[in-house]
Amino acid sequence: MKIIELKTTLFEFSLDRVMGDANSPRGRTKSGSCLVELITDEGLVGISIGGGNSIPQINLLFEAILKGNDPKTRFGIWKKMVEKFFKGGHDGIANDAISVLDVALWDLRAKINGEPLWKTLGASKKEVNVYASDIALPLCDKELGNWYKKMANNYGFRGAKLKVGLDQDSDLKRLEIMHNALSKNTKEPILYIDSNEYWSPKQTIRKVSEMEERYTLGWIEEPARRWDFLGLKKVSESLKTPVCAGENLDTLGDFLPYFHHRSADVIQISSGMTGITGALQIADAAYGLELPVTLGGSAGILHAHLANVIPNCITVEVPHPEPETKVYEWDVKIENGFAILGDKPGLGITINYEELAKSEVKNISVRSGPSPFGRRQGAGLYEVPPTDDEIKEASSK
Amino acid sequence: MKITDYKLETYLEQMDRPLGDSNGPEGNDLIVSNILIINTDEGISGIAPLGNNQVANLFKIIEGKDPRETFSHWQNMVRYAFKGGDEGELHNALSAIDIALWDIKAKLNDEPLWKTLGSDDPKCKIYASDIGYCLDDNELYDFFKGMSDKGVDSGKVKIGLSFDDDIRRIGIVYEALAENFKRPKIMIDSNEYWSVKKAIQTINKIEEKYDIFWAEEPARRWDYRGLKLVSKNIKAAVATGENLNNVGDFYPLIDNQAVDILNVSSYQSGITGLRQIGNFAYAYELPVTTMNCIGNYNAQIATSIPNHLMMEVVDPGREKAYSKWNNNIEDGFVHMDNTPGIGLIVDEKKLKEMQNTDYGRKPKVPWSRREGAGLYIKELENQEVKWKVRD
Repeated sequence: MKIIELKTTLFEFSLDRVMGDANSPRGRTKSGSCLVELITDEGLVGISIGGGNSIPQINLLFEAILKGNDPKTRFGIWKKMVEKFFKGGHDGIANDAISVLDVALWDLRAKINGEPLWKTLGASKKEVNVYASDIALPLCDKELGNWYKKMANNYGFRGAKLKVGLDQDSDLKRLEIMHNALSKNTKEPILYIDSNEYWSPKQTIRKVSEMEERYTLGWIEEPARRWDFLGLKKVSESLKTPVCAGENLDTLGDFLPYFHHRSADVIQISSGMTGITGALQIADAAYGLELPVTLGGSAGILHAHLANVIPNCITVEVPHPEPETKVYEWDVKIENGFAILGDKPGLGITINYEELAKSEVKNISVRSGPSPFGRRQGAGLYEVPPTDDEIKEASSK
Repeated sequence: MKITDYKLETYLEQMDRPLGDSNGPEGNDLIVSNILIINTDEGISGIAPLGNNQVANLFKIIEGKDPRETFSHWQNMVRYAFKGGDEGELHNALSAIDIALWDIKAKLNDEPLWKTLGSDDPKCKIYASDIGYCLDDNELYDFFKGMSDKGVDSGKVKIGLSFDDDIRRIGIVYEALAENFKRPKIMIDSNEYWSVKKAIQTINKIEEKYDIFWAEEPARRWDYRGLKLVSKNIKAAVATGENLNNVGDFYPLIDNQAVDILNVSSYQSGITGLRQIGNFAYAYELPVTTMNCIGNYNAQIATSIPNHLMMEVVDPGREKAYSKWNNNIEDGFVHMDNTPGIGLIVDEKKLKEMQNTDYGRKPKVPWSRREGAGLYIKELENQEVKWKVRD
């Protein structure tokens, strides 16, 4: 069997809510991505969603490494892709390209076997522990409350995450809103918070200590810059709350300082870290050090397939319990606070090509990315609460 | 698809030559071996060239289950072993079951395990290893010369009991490999016989004469401070790990930089566990090297480990129970073919023959530790090994 063709299609769609974090209180209402398809000589198609900004690198890797090769040799291909970018490093855009291609190869492998990816990876359990993730700092309290209620009532979530960072009083209030919504399902909701590197270590220690007086927190995510292993360690040693970090790292090597210095209590990984191959490597290394792992949000909740073959996985992030676009559907249901994996082959993601054609774009617009406004003023220094103008814009979307 | 039953075949085999190290220099050519066979309702069986009576204990965890769910079975076995730990006798059985399940998984795909694991490389670099303290100088030379002629550029020699003899034998290995390679890689293995300081003294003396690639087990397997101290005081890399069981056992060694090269094997919590250790080491930029094993099946796993260095090959002739194994060594690599699974096919007739053979003597098990280990050197007695004749 051979890979003969690569197709990439950029698309955009409207979100079900205004999304944003401490760096983007203005919010965004659109999302964009790329469908990557690897087509074999036997007509099987391996797919992956992501890598919209790395199409030149995807093309380069396809021509140099994947084309004409047996898709089953995915580890060999992974290694060649990583080594291809030796000098400049396989991070950033190179990593995006490697990641989507690796995921498409795993999709193909499972489809060749005629089984869902979780089975190809060796799992037997179909239930995966998950949590609801708002990524919705721009929403007003009422809208946010309604969203958490929907998550608790319709999907049974017992754990959820809140974006924080710009206004301590507001954050305390919203923490209560999240807690109360989840209390429907459990006496002890699991409350995660995420400040997306907006605070300095000491800001984090002050703010989270105050929160800890009211609530037991599941973790504080990215409480210092991604590379600041000493700052993260200091936060961890000063708080009762676990430090969760890693989402903006790209490669296994990036994690070495965290591992060596015990900077994070929970290691956050994703298939965007040189693919599923890379994510599983990082998970094994964390396992060796008895560090728990959590998986970030993913297109089609594909991370649920990985969770049950990671020896020390806690939970998987779910920002959208149901498809956020008509372009694709997925085979993972959220019920009673668990993701229930399906039996469709591969990642279980089905593309609606009619909708894809309608949503196709030449370029993904600037405001459709996860970081539409870059890093916010004051980050790491002092807090700049949302301005009237920003609040007005967010509420008008 | 379901796992239905299993069979454990135990047999005694006379190898083509004896194996011996500093703890048992006189050597032994009779070995007790096991083959675990796990059967499914679809006619496919998985095998592993190891196992013991603890398989019965663990089999109830996988009975009736889908064999493809390798990870979950591994995890359930490890969880079952929680209190007593994934070590000792149970550990051997756990590894055997995990290997047999991977064998099934690859056979279901109708492909060799190296491909199921995603590799595009059907060949694995190897090094020659004598495990032959009992071999005389000529036999030692012939073994390494034979391997060198097959393109093998690295050799490991058992030492530890007599400096003069050891340095001479290192020279013999060097000479044999140097017939074909300008600067062969030489590794030495004292199998935990020395104290930390004895290791430092001896290896430094050896290094005055030879460039040593690694020194294996220069201190006890768990002595991470001792191993670290040795590494700081010699130029060669410290290799260790063959007697550890799982990722947790490697934790103190990796975390304290007590090891430069990890010795790993699929009896370290199975193929699943071996791959975890490989990734753990990879995060710390540490190379891993796979151990010798019956049928060289570790090569099937090695080529999808990102930082794999080379695999140990002893080849003492212990595959009589198999009509097929990974024995094609050329250009310094073991070349794997497309035989589905781990590359071993049982020869049932020969197996039966061995089970019915009376060798008239007993194998030397267990392989015990030699007097003086870690304290002082108990010198070789007259003719304790055939090449040592005292006046």
